[in-house]
Amino acid sequence: MADLTREFDRRQFLKAAGLAGAAVGLGGIAAACATPAASVAPPASTSAGASAGASAAASAVAAASNPTGTFNWMTWVDHYYPEQLSAIASSIGINVNLTELADNSDGYTKLKEVGGQLDMIAGDALWVPHYFEAGLIEAWDINSLEVSKQLYSIARSFEIWTKPEGYLGYPNGWSPVQIYYDPAKVSPAPDSWEVLLDPKYVKKVVVENQPVEIMAYMGKAAGVKDPYNMTPDEISKAKDLAIKLKPNLLKFAQQNTDTIAALISGEAWIATGNLGTETRVKQAGGPELKVFTPKEGTIGWMDAEMIVKGGANEPLIRPFLQAAEQAEYVAANFMINQRPLFNEKAYKLLINQGQKDLADRFLYNKPETVLTMTLKGPGTSTQGAIDAFNEVFGA
Amino acid sequence: MTVQTASAADPAPLAGSTSGARRQVGRLWPLAPGLLLIGLLFLVPMGFMLVFSFLRTDPNFNIVVDPNLNNYARFINIPTYVRTFAKTLVMAGVVTTLGLALAMPFAYFLVRYVSRRWQRIILLAVVVPFWTSYLLRVYAWQAILGEHGALNQALQGIGLIDKPSALFIYNDVGVAIVLTYLYFPFAALALYAALEKFDFAQFNAAQDLGARPDQAFRHILLPQIRAGIITACIFVFIPILGEFLTPALVGGAQGSLIANLIVNFFRGAQYAEGSALAIVIAIFVTAVLIVFRRYLRVEDVVARG
Repeated sequence: MADLTREFDRRQFLKAAGLAGAAVGLGGIAAACATPAASVAPPASTSAGASAGASAAASAVAAASNPTGTFNWMTWVDHYYPEQLSAIASSIGINVNLTELADNSDGYTKLKEVGGQLDMIAGDALWVPHYFEAGLIEAWDINSLEVSKQLYSIARSFEIWTKPEGYLGYPNGWSPVQIYYDPAKVSPAPDSWEVLLDPKYVKKVVVENQPVEIMAYMGKAAGVKDPYNMTPDEISKAKDLAIKLKPNLLKFAQQNTDTIAALISGEAWIATGNLGTETRVKQAGGPELKVFTPKEGTIGWMDAEMIVKGGANEPLIRPFLQAAEQAEYVAANFMINQRPLFNEKAYKLLINQGQKDLADRFLYNKPETVLTMTLKGPGTSTQGAIDAFNEVFGA
Repeated sequence: MTVQTASAADPAPLAGSTSGARRQVGRLWPLAPGLLLIGLLFLVPMGFMLVFSFLRTDPNFNIVVDPNLNNYARFINIPTYVRTFAKTLVMAGVVTTLGLALAMPFAYFLVRYVSRRWQRIILLAVVVPFWTSYLLRVYAWQAILGEHGALNQALQGIGLIDKPSALFIYNDVGVAIVLTYLYFPFAALALYAALEKFDFAQFNAAQDLGARPDQAFRHILLPQIRAGIITACIFVFIPILGEFLTPALVGGAQGSLIANLIVNFFRGAQYAEGSALAIVIAIFVTAVLIVFRRYLRVEDVVARG
C-alpha cells in the first residue's frame, strides 16, 4: 500500500511538474513572440485621463506621433542616466531594456550571436566600421534627425564612420587616455609612458583591467605605430615593457571608480585614465593631481550608438535618439560623467550654466583633438597581445 | 510475416519482454527531468566548449572550423599556463586547509558545547553574509585589508606595526585571506552536519579506555566524520579552481589564478582559445571528483542518519 501510495504521489508530482514546465515554456514562447508586437504598440491612452496635466497632454501628443514600447540597448553605463530614461519613458512612451557593455569585443561577439534581438549598441571608433563590414549595423542618414543639428559639424562627418550608404552611428563622446600623477610624490614631472615602468614607483601604478589596451600602451611606449596590429616582433617589445610594468602595478582597476579611490587614498601615485580623473579625485577630497598626454602619443576613444540591422524594435530607435540626445540631457550627462561629448549645443548650455572652465578643461570645445589620437579598434594582434599579457601577468 | 508468426506462436515471451521493457522505462523515466536539466544546462554548453576548443578564432573574431590541437598545445608549450594552474592548485589546497582548520574547531565547539537554540542562531550568522552580494563582500575586504584599511589601523593602534603594511592586499596573501573567508561557511556547514550526527559518548568511552584525546580524535571522531570532511573539501577546493573575481579585486597584478587568464581570452573574444583552457580545468575537476568519489558515497552526503 505504501508503495502504491508512493508511486501515485510520484506520478502526480511528475505530471504536475510536467504541466508546470510546459506552462512555463509556453509562457516564455508566448512572451517572446509577443515582444515585437508589444514594442510597436499604439500609444497608451493614459495621459488622456481627466487628471492629467498639461505636460502629460504634451506627452500624449508626442506619443501619438511616435511608436511606443521597449527596445533592447547594449551600451556603456555613462551613456544615460536613470532620470533621463524615466523622463523619456513618460514623455514619449519608449522604454529601454539595458545591457551593460563590458568591452568592444564582448559587444561585437554578442551581437553576432543574438543579431536582431538587440536594437541599439554602442561601440568605439574603429569598431564601428568593423560592425558595419560584418553586416551587423545599419548605415543611415544622421541628418534626418533634427537633434543631430546640435552636434559639432565634425562629429557628423568623421571619415571612418562615413559610408556611401550613410553614417554609421550617432556620435556620443570621446577621450584620450592620459596619465595622472601626484606631483608631491612623482618627480621630476614625467612626459612619457616610461613613468609607468620607473622602478621608483613599485606598487604605485593603477591601470584599467583591459589586457589588449595595456599591451597597446606598452606598444606605444615601445614606439609601435599601430598598437592594435602589432607584428610578433612588436608584441615582443611591448611584452618586455609589460614585464617592467608588472612590479609597479598596485592593481588592475575594474572600473574608473577603482582608479579614483586608489588615487584619493594615496595607495596609487600614478594612473592611466580618461579626461577628468584629476577633477573627480579632487572633488572627492583627494590630492591635487597633474596630468599629461605621453609624448609618444596616446590612445583614445570616441564612441557612437549604432542601429542594429534587423532589430525587432527598430522603429523606436530614431524617436528615442531624437529625445535622448537633446542638449539638456547631454549637458546633465556631462556634469555627471565629466568627459567631452559631441553635442555643441550642450556645451553652450554649460557655458550659460557657468561651467565653461570645467567644460574647457575637459576639451569639450576641441572635438578636433580626436583626429590626433590613435583610435581604439579591432586589430589583428588581439590574440598575440592576450597571450603576451597572460605570460607576463600569470604566475 | 515472421513477426506475426512469432507473435502468434509464442505471445508470452514477447509480452513479457514488452512489459519488462516498459517496467524498465517506467523505472528510468523519473530521471528524465534531471537528465534534461543536466543536459541543457551542463552537457550542451560543455559540448559547445569542447567543440570550440578544437577550432580557432580569426582576426575578425570569427570561430573558424579548422580542427586542430593548437589551443591545447598552448597550455603545454607556454609555461605560464602550467605554472599558473599549479599556483591555482596550491591556492585551492591552502584555502581548503585553512577553511578546514577554522571550520573544524568552530563546528566541534558548536555541536558539543552550545545549546540547540544558540546553534541555530550561530549557524544563521554563518549564512547571513550570503544575503549580500559576493562582489560587495570582496570590496568590503579591500576596505579591511588596504593600506589605510581597518586591519592596518588596528595593528598600528596596538603598536604591532609603525606604518601601514602592504602585505595584506594586492598579492597572494590577500587572495588567500578573502577566499578563506568566502568559503569558510561551506566547510563549516558540511562539518557541522557531520559532527551533529556523531555520538560523543564514543569519544568519552575511548578516553575512559585509555586513549589520549588526540588518539580518540584520530581513531574515533575523524573516521566517522570523514564524509563531512570530504564534502567540505569538494565544496571549497573545486570552486576555487574557477575563481577569478577575488584574485582580480584583491590579488592585484601578482595574484592572478588560471581563471583570470581564461577570462582574458573570453573578454578579448578569443572563445576557442579560452574554451581549451576551460576544458583542461573541467577535465581536472572531473578527475578530482572521481578520486573523491572513491572515498565518498552519495548517501554519505545526502542520506545520512
